[in-house]
Amino acid sequence: MTVIRGGGPVVMAWSAVSPFGIGADPFGSGVRAGVPAQAGPGAGGGLVRSVPGFDARALLGRKGTRSMDRVTALAVTAVGRLLGPDAWRPPAPGGPVALVLGTTMGSARSTMDFTRDSITGDRPHLVDPARFPNTVMNCAAGLSAIRYGLKGPNATVAGGRAAGLLALNYARRLQRGGRAHTVLCGGAEEYSAARGWLRRHALGPDGDGAPAGEGCAVLHLEPSHAPEAGEHGLAEVAALEFGVAAGPGEVRSVLAACLRRALASGPFAPSDVWAAATGGTAEAGDPERAAVADVLGRTPPVRISCADLVGDTSAAAATLQIAAVLATARRTPAAVGRTALVTSADRDGTVGCALLRLLPGAVRGWGVSSK
Amino acid sequence: MVSDGAGTPPGEADRRVVLTGFGVVSSLGSGVAEFTAGLRAGRSGARPITVFDTEGFAHAVGCEVADFTAERWIKDLPVESLGPATRFAVSAARMAVEDAGLDPAVLRRQHGMICVGTTDGESHDLDGLVATEVAHGPEAMDPVVAGRIGAARLSVAIARELGLSDVEAVTIPTACAAGNYAIGYGYDAVRSGEVDFALCGGADAMCRKTFAGFYRLGTIAPDLCRPFDADRAGILTGEGAGVLVLESLRSALARGARIYAEVLGYGLNCDAYHQVAPDQGSVARAMGLALQDAGIAPHQVDLISAHGTGTRANDVTETRAIRDVFGDDPPRTVAVKSMLGHTMGAAGALSAIACALAITHRFIPPTINHRRTDPECAIDCVPNEAVDADLRVVQNNGLAFGGNNAVVLLGRYDPPGPGTHNPAGPGAYDLTGPGTYDLPGPGATVRARPPSPASEHPS
Repeated sequence: MTVIRGGGPVVMAWSAVSPFGIGADPFGSGVRAGVPAQAGPGAGGGLVRSVPGFDARALLGRKGTRSMDRVTALAVTAVGRLLGPDAWRPPAPGGPVALVLGTTMGSARSTMDFTRDSITGDRPHLVDPARFPNTVMNCAAGLSAIRYGLKGPNATVAGGRAAGLLALNYARRLQRGGRAHTVLCGGAEEYSAARGWLRRHALGPDGDGAPAGEGCAVLHLEPSHAPEAGEHGLAEVAALEFGVAAGPGEVRSVLAACLRRALASGPFAPSDVWAAATGGTAEAGDPERAAVADVLGRTPPVRISCADLVGDTSAAAATLQIAAVLATARRTPAAVGRTALVTSADRDGTVGCALLRLLPGAVRGWGVSSK
Repeated sequence: MVSDGAGTPPGEADRRVVLTGFGVVSSLGSGVAEFTAGLRAGRSGARPITVFDTEGFAHAVGCEVADFTAERWIKDLPVESLGPATRFAVSAARMAVEDAGLDPAVLRRQHGMICVGTTDGESHDLDGLVATEVAHGPEAMDPVVAGRIGAARLSVAIARELGLSDVEAVTIPTACAAGNYAIGYGYDAVRSGEVDFALCGGADAMCRKTFAGFYRLGTIAPDLCRPFDADRAGILTGEGAGVLVLESLRSALARGARIYAEVLGYGLNCDAYHQVAPDQGSVARAMGLALQDAGIAPHQVDLISAHGTGTRANDVTETRAIRDVFGDDPPRTVAVKSMLGHTMGAAGALSAIACALAITHRFIPPTINHRRTDPECAIDCVPNEAVDADLRVVQNNGLAFGGNNAVVLLGRYDPPGPGTHNPAGPGAYDLTGPGTYDLPGPGATVRARPPSPASEHPS
């Protein structure tokens, strides 16, 4: 549980690397078009929507990419775009900017490859030392900080599909406690054969029918008291609420309780809710969508189901959902002043929601090229 | 009852946060009593590694958890549905709640946080899945094991075992500083009144992957871990879990709880320098941030529980950073990793518990296996034998891969009365101490408390 009593973080900009492509523009276009990204065959018989043409070396250069794994490259790319083409106004280089990144379990591939080298090599310690840091879950956040000189608090938060919302709450508390001002906050997930097999075994042979996905989305957050937040901000994070479901059958009721607390935390009428971005896929029967309807007593005007478009992106999912809300609001002037709900239910039991209040900047943008 | 939180009105002063219960799973034993006895006696948890196949390694000593039965603690969840790190975490949480004298039925009616740090999550399970895959192909992986490897489960399983639904369960995998991150996060949540209680700590289970990695880096000691010793040869990998109960002082007093120590504050920063090598200036800044957050001057710190891994790089860099902050006469600085090994994500939590027990029981746990202090590590590491000491403020350092630094400050809680002292809170002390480290200067954003609702941060 958590109640923001006003003064939540304000999203100034966002970036995305997704199955729709690299950058905010292809993601926004893809979401607005509502046509799922290309799917291909994955490991273990499943389908996957992967980031097309993602090549770390081509995007980031040769320096520092030789041993960089895919999830780290996705994060470094998405964080970098908030300091470049997708930037609102880049934070001062080398300043104490905080970074909070959601994960599921780091890179399953990096971790399992490392063990495999130990098992199959001539000697058990003949592993590649340069790849050892990749096997630790904070690698993507740490390398992003090194690359861009982000010396503020640097945290990695694990929570699967809810990781992006948990990271957002971590960011909020950093700002509230005066531990950080500017925070970059998001979630990253790679697709690999290793993840494909683990997912297949964990979900069972039939799974939930949804293709796997991958990507990374990152938000640039300023505290609500920052002078620019009101004028240029896209949305305020007005409430974040969490619970734990004892099993899949409890997701709907636990999430509904979270949503009720979020709406009760401020002057947020159910009738003001303009959009709901749920985390489940239609194939899964989506208890999240049911919970939203339970609480609002209706279906909100705009329903966004990212997983149907980009696949199960796990730790990237919640931040991509927020990005999808903002991309949709960009073309919806009537959304300003209204609220949007973003919900997550991770298969390991974490349930959560965010209530966003859309600010004038959501429609106006900040004047950068093709947003 | 822990019950003063939800109704805290906005603008009310931030609450003081205290530690009222501990759960420990370690190579020195399980539970507070065994752990305390081990720290005081200076016992070593080192023994030959048995939890993975060590054939082919020239040496394989580690600080394994022996004689531990998860079923003794885990009552509601099927133990096989939990990976080994999660079993440690859930067991330690059960112990901590019991140690605090809390009834889970009461916790179920409150708002809470569960926050567990880790380095490797369930990498021991991943090792096993890889072994299966190598031998029989990926189709043969055990679905039960594949279904229990998400790092989120380290915290979520605690909620499920205790029957808690209205909780934010979050796992923080910030490697070897993760335990301190978790305590700091719980501190912020309790202090602000957002939650009534927080169960915070860290957990890791020893795994082949991490042993092989450190071995390859040449940082695994052949026999014993000797922090700050001229002949130190590296770490011993360890395992276990530590969970701490955090609640407001008011709540603890209202229910008559035993208070081990108060959380005075913490500091976080990132080196943004190197993935595995710590940066002296940045480590010093992390300590400075913690001192500033707690309103403690360097000369008030009575003891430092160092990250103290026993590697050449860590010990020299860390002690130099300590001297940067504390001057030429730093507080006594011990390394409990000499006893516990490097328990990775559990390390910060177990060390914080050791700090609080040291405050409560008025002794300093020793740095064992010590023969000759490295002149480059110029500190008093309290070699080999515990000493009695009256400790008011203790600092707990955590440094990690990725340059993730987290430093926690704990203080003795004395009930109000004549002649007692409690740290006065943020801003109470001049921080221009003897050190040469740089605190963020005027205009730096890190320490600028937000103007609104800043009334919640009185000086």
